[in-house]
Amino acid sequence: MNQKLSEKLSALFSLKIGNISPLLEEPGKIHFGSDSNLMDDDEIADLSAEFLSLMAELLGSKNPNDRKSPEFHALEMFFAALSHKILMRGGRVEEVVRYTQLLQYALIEALEKDSGIPFTESRSVLHYFTSIFNELIMAVFRAYLEERERVLEAQEAELRETATPITEIWDGVLTLPIIGTLDSSRTMLVMEALLNRVAKDHADVVVMDLTGVQNIDSQVSHHLIQIVRAVQLMGSSAIITGIQPEIARALISLNIDLSGVTTRASLSDGLKEAFRRLGIQVSHKAS
Amino acid sequence: MIPGLHLTRIGREAFLLEPSRSLNIRDEARLVEHIAAKLQQAKASCLYYDLAELALIDPVYYAWLNALARTMAAINVRMICIHMQPTAAFSLSGFIAGKPAFETALDIPDVHFTGSPV
Repeated sequence: MNQKLSEKLSALFSLKIGNISPLLEEPGKIHFGSDSNLMDDDEIADLSAEFLSLMAELLGSKNPNDRKSPEFHALEMFFAALSHKILMRGGRVEEVVRYTQLLQYALIEALEKDSGIPFTESRSVLHYFTSIFNELIMAVFRAYLEERERVLEAQEAELRETATPITEIWDGVLTLPIIGTLDSSRTMLVMEALLNRVAKDHADVVVMDLTGVQNIDSQVSHHLIQIVRAVQLMGSSAIITGIQPEIARALISLNIDLSGVTTRASLSDGLKEAFRRLGIQVSHKAS
Repeated sequence: MIPGLHLTRIGREAFLLEPSRSLNIRDEARLVEHIAAKLQQAKASCLYYDLAELALIDPVYYAWLNALARTMAAINVRMICIHMQPTAAFSLSGFIAGKPAFETALDIPDVHFTGSPV
């Protein structure tokens, strides 16, 4: 049965492929060309030609039904790459799926026309193409999900980076301005990033500026103290600056022990203290 | 030779202590005595304890560090833990209350570095 189908398929593709190729450009023009402007005509022509050659390779393979064959894998990769390309260019996954469906109809129609065989009378061929294209649509979705995951990971990394803008302001002096709301998960991010930077840069002093922090709760204050303690344990010293009156009041009412913590009113005072500890003197240029 | 520990003189009065994986801190009393004896004999005033290979410090290991530091203080030797890893500092800061008995530093000051094993 399979062998019979393979022979039928091979026979179909031994027809003039060159005649089919332009017909397959139509779905590309509809979904990626004209209004959406995702691809130009040359690119669409190349896309159709590449698809056709991969499909011809699959149909000419030993077993066109084998979903693990290198030929089928190449076809899957072609659709995955197409999906990535369209998404990167601002297209939507729906467009790729609709293109794939339309491509299936166009291929069947073109083969019918070219071979003169009505496929309504050859259900096995019809069924074969449907199952192949279903798999290819799955490949499109898999690529879409991978791309989404990659974008989300990149956004998360960017968020982490902006949430912890650690700067080496002087040799051995790190500053970390914290702006916005500090919650437990963000404080843990800050701690992780800061401790790693202390180790990487061999920082002697860390100045954490809380000027932009408006709210603090018990758990977060404990985490803050834990950051200071961890920095000290690594052999650096920590200075907290810019504690707003309401934050100071909150820390006291939460019974947070600040005795082992150096605090200064502003970031500039904190930097002066850091320089003093390192024996650095910053002065105005004598006129 | 102290089992599980490598003690190196790195200056006139300073020593570097590097623990290995075979260090058995349950044998605390014997280890502390050995180290104290070596340092007293060499008239040391400073002991650098290298934590570079330690990814995590749990309460048992912290107790060992504190016990050693207190003993060192008793024989007038400063104990300074160096190269504490971020993960170890994070875990340790989570459970300690108050200051540890040892000091901490990022690294050994350059002034000490001319090592020879003892």
